[in-house]
Amino acid sequence: MEPVIGIDLGTTNSVVATVQAGVPTVIPNRSGYRLTPSVVAIAKNGKRLVGQLARRQAVTNAERTVVAVKRLMGRKYSSRALQEALPRLPYSVVNGDRDDPHIVLGDKSYTPPEISAMILTELRLDAEAFLGEKVGKAVITVPAYFNDGQRNATKDAGRIAGLDVIRIINEPTSASLAYGFGRDVQEKKICVFDLGGGTFDFTVLHMFKGVFEVMATGGDTALGGEDFDARIIDWLAEPFARTHGVDLRKDKMSLQRLRDAAEKAKCELSAAKSTEVNLPFIAQSPTAGPLHLQAQLTRDMLEKMTDDLVQRTLRVCEQVMSDAKVHAAQLGDVLMVGGQTRMPRVHDAVKSLFGREPSKNINPDEAVAVGAAVQGHLLLNETGKESDMLLLDVTPHSLGIAIAGGYFSRIIPKNTTVPTSAHHIFTTVKDGQTSAKITVVQGESELAAQNELLGEFMLMGLREAPRGEVDIDVIFDISSDGIVSVSAIDVQTGQRQSITVTASSGLTEDEIRNAAAANEDWLLTQKSDPEFEARKNTAERLFKEFEELWPRLTYAAKNGLGQEALQRAQAALSVARLQVSQKESEGLAGSIERLERMLGALRGAIERSGQGGG
Amino acid sequence: MAATTVGSLDLPPELQRELKDLAAREGKISHYELLGIPADADGGAVRRAYLERSKRLHPDAWYRKNVGEYATLLSRAFQRIAAAYQVLSDDDARAEYDAEQAKTFSAADKTRVEKRMQDRADDERRAKERRERLMRSKGFARLGAARQLYESAVELAAKGQRGFAIAELKSARELDPQRKEIAQKLAELEKEAAKARSVSACVAAGERAAQGDFDRAIALYTAAHQSDPTNPEAARGIATAAAEKGEWPLAATWIPRAVEAAPTHVETRLLAGRVYAAVKNKARAKAELQFVLDKIPNHEEARALLKRL
Repeated sequence: MEPVIGIDLGTTNSVVATVQAGVPTVIPNRSGYRLTPSVVAIAKNGKRLVGQLARRQAVTNAERTVVAVKRLMGRKYSSRALQEALPRLPYSVVNGDRDDPHIVLGDKSYTPPEISAMILTELRLDAEAFLGEKVGKAVITVPAYFNDGQRNATKDAGRIAGLDVIRIINEPTSASLAYGFGRDVQEKKICVFDLGGGTFDFTVLHMFKGVFEVMATGGDTALGGEDFDARIIDWLAEPFARTHGVDLRKDKMSLQRLRDAAEKAKCELSAAKSTEVNLPFIAQSPTAGPLHLQAQLTRDMLEKMTDDLVQRTLRVCEQVMSDAKVHAAQLGDVLMVGGQTRMPRVHDAVKSLFGREPSKNINPDEAVAVGAAVQGHLLLNETGKESDMLLLDVTPHSLGIAIAGGYFSRIIPKNTTVPTSAHHIFTTVKDGQTSAKITVVQGESELAAQNELLGEFMLMGLREAPRGEVDIDVIFDISSDGIVSVSAIDVQTGQRQSITVTASSGLTEDEIRNAAAANEDWLLTQKSDPEFEARKNTAERLFKEFEELWPRLTYAAKNGLGQEALQRAQAALSVARLQVSQKESEGLAGSIERLERMLGALRGAIERSGQGGG
Repeated sequence: MAATTVGSLDLPPELQRELKDLAAREGKISHYELLGIPADADGGAVRRAYLERSKRLHPDAWYRKNVGEYATLLSRAFQRIAAAYQVLSDDDARAEYDAEQAKTFSAADKTRVEKRMQDRADDERRAKERRERLMRSKGFARLGAARQLYESAVELAAKGQRGFAIAELKSARELDPQRKEIAQKLAELEKEAAKARSVSACVAAGERAAQGDFDRAIALYTAAHQSDPTNPEAARGIATAAAEKGEWPLAATWIPRAVEAAPTHVETRLLAGRVYAAVKNKARAKAELQFVLDKIPNHEEARALLKRL
């Protein structure tokens, strides 16, 4: 069977997994980590950096480092969600021709799907390195609450990255597949509480003999770990601004340092009761010289400043349970997904809402990617019979059209199992009318304008007839991916009508193809030359030798050799590692020479001191 | 597609037959037959039948398999069972469907549906009787009555009849002193009532003061202050009336409270300046007048007073 990977394309971190010989496995990236930061940067030398490398240089290159691009996916530039996110982003986002955001990095600008595609490409390369063969098929997860535009943008990103996206699935359902795979459950109701970096989802599922039925789902696409970080950032920056008259959030570099410190403090407070934030030389005062930021943050304070966020998640849970017509007591297991669920306050709130300890059976960081891999495996199984497991997912939003007076007419209600279709008959209102406009929206408000606009469709070339005599049957399909398509048929003649999308911020077919080609070109330039490969091997041999020597070196350093030699070696090693990962062949040659010299000198020093034994 | 023979497809022949049969009988079979369950199946059985069938009919079960022209039949079949499930899993929708479709059901199903409706009516009746019985029993009756009183009080309060609402809540609290909601609502309404009393007392006091009846005005303002100590009008009213009467010491005891309740109110601060000047507290008088002048630099009265001091 050809490999298929599952990708959890997260706001802060991404994970890739696959099913190998029937066993779901998380694929470590080429640096050996299971989580790859969803960070993309264009370095000063024009090189594209993704993941850990991009994240590490974020502080010194904040303006050309893209974080949390998921928040921009499928959003219109003018949308409230995007406008609210803008001030917190260190990079600049400009408006495109179609009300679509473009991210400016150096002299080029990229759409959010293009940036996401860079992350996906990286994950694809990791998977290919791990599996030792080409990987073309993928299942990508999205928050259950993602609307049509956001799903399409994600699918586009996959295509740009050269992946055949066989399915977009919802993160919480994916997590439940990871939970249910290989577990023989007769019948059970479970729920998934998914609080990730940028989004919150809550889903209630019914499991019966391998069929996973989503009973109801709901969430908030603008609520996640980053909002918790933002509270800490404000808490740090506001008193600082009052005392020193400097708003750290205005400076891109200080903001990036604040962001890192806030996230670190938050994570530490999941284990400790109190932590110190220490940011020396965070800013320069025009009169008093360099300024430092130091603060003590306790878990209590953090819980107090984020209490409303936790309460928001609980309100969503209650709404979804009432949609599913279940009580907390009827749920057999509560699954927690997403890094933010590690916060003790979140854990306690969930525990008290459901009156039980959440399940420890799944890994909150990896379950979503694992479930996606499982779904890919299930879809492509080649046994030629029905599979043992099946996922019945639902559409998270009601789909409908705008009708006279600006009202919203529901055609497919939310929580309907997908794939599904429904139709609506339109009739002409004027004599000889030859075209009609249909505005398709997604959401729950009674007013069309308050819902998400999916697109405006023009029905063209209608038969000329007196008003009311032409009936057009418009068919709305929602695929298993949760993606909407619209078609129309003239009821009287049975003729298919052409439909043109006139308002949508998504990428056009040409744009996707061009971006995919550009990505392929980039991949070709990455194919390394034999010279570099040889240097890389030498460098890796040297890394290993240093590693083996290290315990003796630290011992010698304490006994006469001195710390300075050790630090010099450490610095040279990290430079060389960076050159390996960035494929800087020339620079690496110099590093190898330097490392070899150092290695010889250090070995000599250890032997001379006669203390190297052991 | 037309060239594909039955044998080369990934679909088992029996499923091919089933799909053709389902398509041929579209619109002719009931939701029950579609899911393969008797018409008296309970909610759990409906769900299990739907999930079992989904495993065979959901398009994902045959994803990227060679299903030839059966692709559309599969997706249609799945949508039909999903629609049937949607109706039968919702009690109200199911009752409506049963009533509408009764004539098309087979004889056996007809009796089953009738029996189910009968059972449902019985269940509802029993549940209702049980509730009433509980209400009549000693402990429950008290709590039930308290609950009813509470609910009617909330309704009255929403209609603006606060007085009645408070009376009902007081009786409810006697019946069920444990329930927090009752005590909370009562406290909330009483606070609102006190505030309203305070406001109306101030209006009445203002009228008296305008007629020159300062004693009566002071008494009313005092009552207003007791009802709602945060009402700035009340303290200021007493101080003003006392000042009008020339009872400066009384005015001086109230003016700090008036200033505290409305620290940015210039008129109050001016009055404070006059009162402190009258009781010879020069320092505070100056401070108050300076405040007025900071706000309105060319305030003549304040300027004159300050000069005199």
